[in-house]
Amino acid sequence: MTGEDFAGRLEAIERDFARALERLEREADLEALRVAYLGRKGSLAQLMSSLPELPAEQRPAAGKRANECKKTLLDLLSAKQDALQAGGQTADRSRFDATLPGRRDWIGSKHPVTLVLDEICAAFTAIGFDVVTGPEIENDFYNFEALNIPREHPARDMQDTLYISDSIVLRTHTSPLQIRTMETSPPPLAVIAPGKVYRRDADLTHTPMFHQIEGLLVDEEVSMADLRGTLTYFVRTIFSKKTRVRFRPSYFPFTEPSAEVDISCVICRGTGFCGADPCRVCKQTGWVEILGCGMVDPAVFEKVDYDPERWTGFAFGLGVERVAMLKYCIDDLRLFFENDVRFLNQFQAC
Amino acid sequence: MFLSINWLKEFTPYTGSLDELAHQLTMLGLEVEEVLNPFAHLEPFLVGHVLDCSPHQNADSLSCCQVDIGGETPVAVVCGAPNVAAGQKVAVAPVGSSLPGGMKIKKAKIRGALSQGMICSEKELELSEDHSGIMVLDPKCTPGTGLLQALNLDTVVLDIGITPNRADCLSILGLAREVAAAFDLPLHLPEFQLQEEGEACSSLIRIQIDAPELCPLYQARIIQGLSIRPSPAWMRYRLLSMGLRPINNVVDVSNYVMLELGQPLHAFDRSLLEGGVIRVGCAADGQKFTTLDNQERVLGSGDLLIQDGVKPVALAGVMGGANSEINAHSTDLLLESAVFDPGNTRRTGRSLGLSSESAYRFERGVDQPGSTFALDRAAGLIQSLAGGRICTGRAVSEPRPWTPRVVDFRPKRAQSLLALSTDAAASQKVLENIGCGVRPLHDKTLRVTPPSYRLDLEREVDLIEEIGRFHGFERIEAALPRIRKSPLDADAQVLGASLASHEFLNRTKTWAQGQGYAEAVNYSFCSRQELESLGLADEGIIPVHNPLSAEQDSMRPALAPGLLRNVRTNLDQGNQNLRFFEIARVFQHDPRSETTAREANRLGLLCHGRRNPSFWPWTDEAVSYLDLKGAIEHFFLSLGLEPARFSPGDAPQYCRSRIRMTLRGEDIGFLGRVQPGIAKDLYHARTPVWISEIDLDVLYRLSRGQSVVYRPWVKFPPVQRDITLICPPEVSYSQIQDVIAASNIPAQESISLQDVYQPDQSFECNLTLRITYRHHKKTLTDKEVDKQHFELGKKLLKALPVRFPA
Repeated sequence: MTGEDFAGRLEAIERDFARALERLEREADLEALRVAYLGRKGSLAQLMSSLPELPAEQRPAAGKRANECKKTLLDLLSAKQDALQAGGQTADRSRFDATLPGRRDWIGSKHPVTLVLDEICAAFTAIGFDVVTGPEIENDFYNFEALNIPREHPARDMQDTLYISDSIVLRTHTSPLQIRTMETSPPPLAVIAPGKVYRRDADLTHTPMFHQIEGLLVDEEVSMADLRGTLTYFVRTIFSKKTRVRFRPSYFPFTEPSAEVDISCVICRGTGFCGADPCRVCKQTGWVEILGCGMVDPAVFEKVDYDPERWTGFAFGLGVERVAMLKYCIDDLRLFFENDVRFLNQFQAC
Repeated sequence: MFLSINWLKEFTPYTGSLDELAHQLTMLGLEVEEVLNPFAHLEPFLVGHVLDCSPHQNADSLSCCQVDIGGETPVAVVCGAPNVAAGQKVAVAPVGSSLPGGMKIKKAKIRGALSQGMICSEKELELSEDHSGIMVLDPKCTPGTGLLQALNLDTVVLDIGITPNRADCLSILGLAREVAAAFDLPLHLPEFQLQEEGEACSSLIRIQIDAPELCPLYQARIIQGLSIRPSPAWMRYRLLSMGLRPINNVVDVSNYVMLELGQPLHAFDRSLLEGGVIRVGCAADGQKFTTLDNQERVLGSGDLLIQDGVKPVALAGVMGGANSEINAHSTDLLLESAVFDPGNTRRTGRSLGLSSESAYRFERGVDQPGSTFALDRAAGLIQSLAGGRICTGRAVSEPRPWTPRVVDFRPKRAQSLLALSTDAAASQKVLENIGCGVRPLHDKTLRVTPPSYRLDLEREVDLIEEIGRFHGFERIEAALPRIRKSPLDADAQVLGASLASHEFLNRTKTWAQGQGYAEAVNYSFCSRQELESLGLADEGIIPVHNPLSAEQDSMRPALAPGLLRNVRTNLDQGNQNLRFFEIARVFQHDPRSETTAREANRLGLLCHGRRNPSFWPWTDEAVSYLDLKGAIEHFFLSLGLEPARFSPGDAPQYCRSRIRMTLRGEDIGFLGRVQPGIAKDLYHARTPVWISEIDLDVLYRLSRGQSVVYRPWVKFPPVQRDITLICPPEVSYSQIQDVIAASNIPAQESISLQDVYQPDQSFECNLTLRITYRHHKKTLTDKEVDKQHFELGKKLLKALPVRFPA
């Protein structure tokens, strides 16, 4: 074979390839054509294998020419592929509907109580509080006695109690965790205790089970300013940065001084009016009650053998459903425990 | 506690606005819950002047009146009262108004005569029970003025929430003290006349206290020759404004003085008392006594009784007896003013299910020295309303006289606890303002003697609260505390462990949400009956001693009852295709536990209805075992655990397919399909309901402490070979897995199930497995793989009754 023969056969390959490509209509057939011409055993490879038959001086030129041919074929192939794909899109458009629903799976949800609980826990753990938990069926001692609520004390009327037996109750608040924590840990400490609590009470605004979060911080020289700061931080984290906080004196047997905390109404922004209508949430006062708190009563410290002269601290307890109602504008407490999916599904995005 | 503004002003000359007063009281811890007008229903009524009154032409019992109600011309009113007469000032309900009972006053013809309003009786106005005739007003009233103003009624009453520590504020006097202190106003005690005459009270009655620990003071006065009548209008109206029903002049005075001064009083008809003695002592166990509400009560030995020489006459501090009650014919009375033990009074009231205004105050504590003033005040008032003679002096027994408390107060301590810069002088002024005696001990301490009515001021910290209250909590600046943790000792780890398990529960919730389950929160109670119908009522159930209802009489031992009820609630509402999860505690009796209960965290999963959220592009299939099982396996794998072992076992009776799950030899829960009958009849579900409960405490224990350690992977290529086995029904997939796992074929890396095919009308099932082979040190040749694969096939045939397809 001479160099000319070789070049002629290359041209023939290019011509045949171009012709075959011309006739080709489906993108799927491209691969077969590629293999036939450019594959390991394709016609170009076969021709290349005869390269050693050429006179030595003609080989470099022939080799170069063969590579050019290969490039030409690849370019043609790729151009054809683009053309087929472009044409294909036009042809497929009638069958492809981009708007059909996707293969979408179920969307789950967390309960609003969980959402709020998590958010509150996160706010407090972010500034260094630990989370503790304890039993829901509780001894009279932890639920009442150790919290400075002796038997036959009128403060027991503040919480209608569900009893298991004479000395065992369903905890009426998360405050027993104050005692349980201080019993097992020396000061200083800072904990929050979320959980279910129970009262013997059921009407429009009370359910026999609800959720609370208790907070307790004990250290040297803790003051009401610390309490106020902590709760202001909490309220502004959960609601808005502009929320105002009001402390009112109150009474809890295990804190002294005790206070109730009101926040500026999140519905009417503390104005008392929603447009021209009186605000129903704050009853036009501009304030809504959100939690109870106070400085730990020295009598409680004595129960757990903390020296009340050295250690001071604050405690607070708040109702989770109450916060959730304000946050999500839920107007009926009972919705929380009916578990109607039309309610639960509204929290999918949270 | 109600606070009538008019009454308050009799004690202290408050002249500011109502809003300011309400705000100040609230900020003192006396929360104003509502501002009421107890006589709002009388707002539309007017004073009328009967100008002319003539008999009705067509009815003997009716009169036709011309009444001036302030308009240009008088109105015609037909009146049926026997006492109506020209010249009277009367209460008129004009056309357009409504009577408290709801009757609307319209212009009407009554037997032919025009009537443009109604002249009212006291009963019609709900001012008393008197319906004998119309109410005749003071002749000085001006026609056309509102009845409310004309009667000078207390139209502004604050409803104040009193916390249990503030017994002193259960009276107008106590609230007035707070107002006077807050606004720096003087305080006036009520003035009264007390004319004693004749025999000494103590010579007529002897007081004997047998239980001094329950009754530190008992004293009484005797009034003779009085006459029981309705109280005058001012007294009746005032009691009405405070929400009390007027009875007669004696009972009304005792109620009035209780509201005014906070001291409960009781009046006995002295003619019904025998033996010239009042004894205060405990009842005999099982003793019966009829209280003045005519209920027979069975008493216990702790209940304190007031007895005369022969019989019990009152349940001390709680309620008087029917046998000695004041009645319309009483002329002599014995008026009691005593102090009873708070705890014991409360216990008696609670054990008998009996509450009263009196018991409410004794339970919280009354002012022992103040009880004498209250007794004298009441005696004077009774005399002025009912006449009679007050015997000289009081009969008294005071086995435990009041001793004032002394509390040392360090202004510095108040400053640091409240973060308020109040100096000793300012503190002293606050304490004196609230009635404390204050004497500086030295420069750092004040010696404080709280007044006898402030039983809540026992300790320094109680005084600190007073400083805070009167300076205003609002003046305390906010600051974030530094948070120090206790040293990292064993105790501190307890807190950390709690946080980790809390986070584990949260992580589980996030996983379940991601799997498309909606979180349910159910009550921790369920009904015993429901547990029985589910076969869950074994002996470990914890009953609630005083449940609100039978639906809530037991602590739940499982999450299933709540989740199944959620299915019913939703199906009844037309919500279908349900997927719920719940994470909560379940309860089991455990005598070894300090709370007699064992509480375990559970995950409940339930699905019902379609497998997928939509038809297209999914297929329409119901959820099945493999869906819920798959979710659970996904959960375990996501925790870094191996999938559990699922085997038929002893799951709850209410399930048909009962599958138990074990992980590393520990039981961690079950999975099953609710019996179709139970699902349909009790929970209205006609298609399969799949449910699972998993013990999260065990799972947490198994999953924790696992740390991820990176391992390099084998770089040689894998080779895969399929194998199809024809399996009889008794062969399970897990047996095949076990045989392969135990086969010790060196390069066998993993297996995956490719296909399960059950030919029609065959009990056998074809399982196709894909086995992956890979050597960690070299590329396997086809020959080597074939040999191992053949070896594996032989082992399977030997170990199990399976065969290869022909």
